[in-house]
Amino acid sequence: MPTLIIDNQTVTVPEGTNVLEAAKRLGIEIPHFCHHEALGSVGACRLCAVEFREGPVKGIQMSCMVPAKDGMVVDTGSAEVLAYRAQVIEWLMTNHPHDCPVCDEGGECQLQDMTVAGGHGIRRYTGPKRTYQNQNLGPFIAHEMNRCIQCYRCVRTYQDYCGGTDFGVLGSRQRLYFGRFSDGPLESPFAGNLIDVCPTGVLTDKTYRFKSRIWDLQEAPSICPHCSLGCAVTPGARYRQLQRRRARTNNRTNGHFICDRGRFGYGYANHPDRPRYPLLGHRRVTWQEALAALQNKLQELGELFGPGSIGLLTSSRATLETQFLTKRWAAALGSDQLCFEAHPGRDLGARVAASQRLDRTASLEDVRNCDLAVLIGADPLSEAPMLALALRQAARRGARIVVVDPRPVELPLAYERHAVSVEKLGQLLRGLSRPQQSEFPSSMEELGGSLASALLAAKSPLLIGGTDLLGPQGTEAMQQAAEACSQPETPCRTMFLLAGPNSFGGALLSAEGPCFSSLLEGMEQGRIKALLCFEADPLADYPDRKRSRAALARLDMLAVFDCAATATLQEADLFFPTTAVEESTGTLINNEGRMQAFEQVFSAGTPLAESAGGSHPPRFFSRDIPGSEPQSAWGILGALMGRSADLLTLRSEIEKNDHRFAGLSQLEARGEGRRIAAPRQYSLSHQPNISGIMGSDQLQLLVTETLYGSELLSNLSSCLHESTPSAFVMLHPQDAARFKLEEGKKVLLGTPVGDLTLTLRIAGDMVPGMAIVPRLRGTVLEPLVPGTEPLPCRIEKA
Amino acid sequence: MSLWRDIRGTILPFWVTLRYLFRRPVTVCYPERKQTPAPRYRGRLVLTRDPDGEERCVACHLCSAACPVDCISMQAAEREDGRRHAAWFRINFSRCIFCGLCTEACPTLALQMTSEYELASRELLQVIYEKDELLIDGCGKNDGYNFYRLAGIGVAAPRGSNPGETPPVDFRSNLP
Amino acid sequence: MNDVLLTFILIVIKLGLVLGTVLSLAAYMVLAERKILGRMQMRHGPNRVGPFGLLQPLADLIKLLCKEDLIPERADRWVFMLAPAISTVTALLAFAVIPFAAPLHLFGRTIPMVVCDLNVGLLYLFALSSLAVYGVALGGWASQSKYALLGGLRAMAQMISYELAMGLAIVPVVMASKSFSLTAIVAAQQPWPNAIRHPLAFLIFVIAIMAESKRTPFDMPEAENELVAGFHTEYSGMRFGMFFVGEYLNLIVLGAMLTVLFLGGWHGPLLPSVCWFLIKVLGVAFFFIWVRGTMPRLRYDQLMAFGWKILVPLGLLNILVTAAWLLWRG
Repeated sequence: MPTLIIDNQTVTVPEGTNVLEAAKRLGIEIPHFCHHEALGSVGACRLCAVEFREGPVKGIQMSCMVPAKDGMVVDTGSAEVLAYRAQVIEWLMTNHPHDCPVCDEGGECQLQDMTVAGGHGIRRYTGPKRTYQNQNLGPFIAHEMNRCIQCYRCVRTYQDYCGGTDFGVLGSRQRLYFGRFSDGPLESPFAGNLIDVCPTGVLTDKTYRFKSRIWDLQEAPSICPHCSLGCAVTPGARYRQLQRRRARTNNRTNGHFICDRGRFGYGYANHPDRPRYPLLGHRRVTWQEALAALQNKLQELGELFGPGSIGLLTSSRATLETQFLTKRWAAALGSDQLCFEAHPGRDLGARVAASQRLDRTASLEDVRNCDLAVLIGADPLSEAPMLALALRQAARRGARIVVVDPRPVELPLAYERHAVSVEKLGQLLRGLSRPQQSEFPSSMEELGGSLASALLAAKSPLLIGGTDLLGPQGTEAMQQAAEACSQPETPCRTMFLLAGPNSFGGALLSAEGPCFSSLLEGMEQGRIKALLCFEADPLADYPDRKRSRAALARLDMLAVFDCAATATLQEADLFFPTTAVEESTGTLINNEGRMQAFEQVFSAGTPLAESAGGSHPPRFFSRDIPGSEPQSAWGILGALMGRSADLLTLRSEIEKNDHRFAGLSQLEARGEGRRIAAPRQYSLSHQPNISGIMGSDQLQLLVTETLYGSELLSNLSSCLHESTPSAFVMLHPQDAARFKLEEGKKVLLGTPVGDLTLTLRIAGDMVPGMAIVPRLRGTVLEPLVPGTEPLPCRIEKA
Repeated sequence: MSLWRDIRGTILPFWVTLRYLFRRPVTVCYPERKQTPAPRYRGRLVLTRDPDGEERCVACHLCSAACPVDCISMQAAEREDGRRHAAWFRINFSRCIFCGLCTEACPTLALQMTSEYELASRELLQVIYEKDELLIDGCGKNDGYNFYRLAGIGVAAPRGSNPGETPPVDFRSNLP
Repeated sequence: MNDVLLTFILIVIKLGLVLGTVLSLAAYMVLAERKILGRMQMRHGPNRVGPFGLLQPLADLIKLLCKEDLIPERADRWVFMLAPAISTVTALLAFAVIPFAAPLHLFGRTIPMVVCDLNVGLLYLFALSSLAVYGVALGGWASQSKYALLGGLRAMAQMISYELAMGLAIVPVVMASKSFSLTAIVAAQQPWPNAIRHPLAFLIFVIAIMAESKRTPFDMPEAENELVAGFHTEYSGMRFGMFFVGEYLNLIVLGAMLTVLFLGGWHGPLLPSVCWFLIKVLGVAFFFIWVRGTMPRLRYDQLMAFGWKILVPLGLLNILVTAAWLLWRG
């Protein structure tokens, strides 16, 4: 623990800390470009020079390259240092194109700040400027190489941190070029982070191109709603349009970066088809009329058929406040027909996952620090992309990453993969839960045995499972396996990938309540006459769409509260527009049980670009803001229950009502969030076994998530459409040969939802005997929902 | 002595005001007689064009950031040739205080002040100017300036062909 | 019976004459002030309505009558509505005792050219000018606004302070003319007006009435840059107009007082007496406007110090000297 003096202040820092970070602890910001907390130091930009007066080194040195040592006396602002930095800025600016007015980085540009701070106002260098040709880097990132200052942050981010291989540094000396070898979209799903790390305007957000300046943006700390990891983001909005998302720093979860699904999935809030008015039977009505119609109908049904005739459904997209108030309202109505997820498998999976001991639950920070991660049935890049990035950081530190999966899982890192069929995943886990007895299924003894011993030997082992593939039983088996592989010194932690941003909250609140299958039964039998869906889409999310459609059609009333035009909305008798995450406040609980509050970024309304028809704002005066009718779901629930719509009161009530949510009312959106106080108690034995038995020689159909196209909200974002694949089916080469099919050709896939014509892809590293299709909304594959047992199917030439 | 000074100081101003009572007023009767403002008079704002006849405004938002009364609003957009321009540009002259900070902030010399000062109207919307009303057909006060010929990003001229630039680097070659 | 009726009719005629003249004079005083101030500042002054802006007072009147009459929500309604009336009416009433010309001899009758020749006319005048402060103070208090309240308080303090100096300045005049009747005081100023006979009293009186009328340099109650508009901050429309008219009526009343008490009233060579009276009143009014165009506003503490520490002792000394002189003269 060296102690040193920086600018006459004494500070003690851990061994290995560099002087720049030591100064940061004292609140002294030494200007720098190339150093980044997540990327480390390279000493490329030469800006962080400080003067060492006493100690092991003397004179002007780069503070990011000098580790703090005892006895150092550092002056960060001596005249010589300031003159040095001014010169550095001046030489960095010699080739700069001076195009700040047309540069999107303007206003949030480190080079701009440093040039102003360094006092470099007039260009003295009169020699020629170096120029480059730009590249087209795909739909997300705009490239303007002339602005580059060669800090290497992009390469270090893209190649080292994110594991991308198609972007790098080329050329030599003064002619360094940061780009791809040829034009083309960046392949890494974390490419968007280049926007955040680039200190100048070389790599900027193409979807945000020329839209706003940072000083005009409305920004607030928020949470990404596109998967269950709950990454911290800062969305920015202007003129009632959500225009971008940036990564926010939360060292417990995402660190400094986010994935491209989260970054560019913001478009759903501005979607032109987004319903913004209350609808009564597809007719636009006022809020009062709609609420009165709902109340009247509920009263009528309650009197005629009893309170049990009203079913309530929320989803993993709903905030904790919404879920809690739904539960409250169900109790007030007297109905016990309440469910927190339309997909029974995912519902039960989340309930099991939420029962894990908290000291065995891993956060993304734990993933980054683990030394062995075994992924069973988890495909990070599709289900929770930032997990892949966290795993890469672990692998960079030397961790061993093992993937056991039927799918051709890809990770941006070096890993071992074992193609294992779905049924065997559960057996493997059951074997791991008794590691000493080696009860592994045939052909898996070797793998199972080695995994068991590795888990027992590792210092911080980790089991990662996707609830979609494992199902509730598999999830429970993984918990038991983790328990069995834990030793007092080296606990084996688990992480489960859940369906949505607040699956965990719903699981905590749902207790032993019914799952949506039993609600559907009630509807089919005519017991349930009305269904209220709070940000839930049962039609699209329930695996058997025929059954859910028929059951919903029997209802007297289907009321939908949502912010997106869902499939269920088309069938709704009553519709209430709700706000998007960015338009309201609330709390989401991520897959490790971390409660994270988010703040309102902007007020809901039709974007000016849309309401003004692309031209200037309308030339008339009006009090009304077009499209400003959406209200937060918990606000509507509060109004329906006749209580005040005060968030703090509501949070204190949740806290008082359920000790697991302790600390909710003190939660700050800017903080790191707060783990729940205790897991739920849950045991699967109360629930019917939903797994089916499959014929062995028949081709099985597995539906999985994909990075783009599966998740509801991000799929509504138009900037992701270019990267979304068209409908395809994946087969093992053996099966392709068996059915005489060729790569890239159209094939006919016979499924329970009908015959589908798809493009064939052949993947060598998947398990044979299986056809894998992604869930792609808006295509023929939409009715197929992941998270179910493999379905029987057949395949032939189209 | 001081008392004498005080009395003098009290009486003398009366003499001054009395003399001024019989002077000709310096103000002119406005609608009948109009004065020609000085060239640097801070009157109505216009958007000028560069010597090539293109819009100078690149919608960089600096004028709206500098404006102390928030009377400028705009939306930037990109033309096919990569030129950044204002999709719409609005100045609310009912709010404008004619301080000129926007013209000082303008990096492309697009926004300039004219000597036009007769803006009053009974109709509020008439003093809210849109881009087509603001845009004029000349360079205004700075004839030769063309931002895109000095900013090296290859919009007005191909990359590397502006004055003082070397041709684009071939990064595939390591030869000097 | 006939005599009484005739006297009554005469009073009504005189009343009408005085009222009409004074009110239109007040209106044109506004215009004159704006014009003269404008010229002193090398501007034109109002020149749009009618030739040389002569219809400006009419335009102002129409504007004020048409404006929305606002009463602040928390205001004391009745007092708020009454206050402007008090300040106008007291100024108007003061004219009742002012002799504006030499008595007229008509059909064998001697008609005094004063609405009502009270034998204690001077006291009446004083009483009314003290009452005028109620309009200002109540208006300031009833508005429920800090600026108005401060303005009202300032006006009250200022008036009480300068009333004293004013009274002390008149005592020598009364001592010399041995009467409280204004007609008698005027008559006593032959051949020399009191301004020459009692120069110190004249000076004190001029300063004191300037303070009484709340005009520059003593316009603290409505100091724009400190109190927005002082006691009438919350007033609009004709209620504001009444305060405004009251101020200019006051200007004429005080001009008339100065004329009667110190400038020899209607006395003068060649011209008819009423002309001399008008000339003198207008001359005083011009002087007030001139002062406004010349002098800056005092500080509040300077105002109070000047009133209490200089004017009051000087006034007392003046009485002493005058009394001694009168005694010596026998």
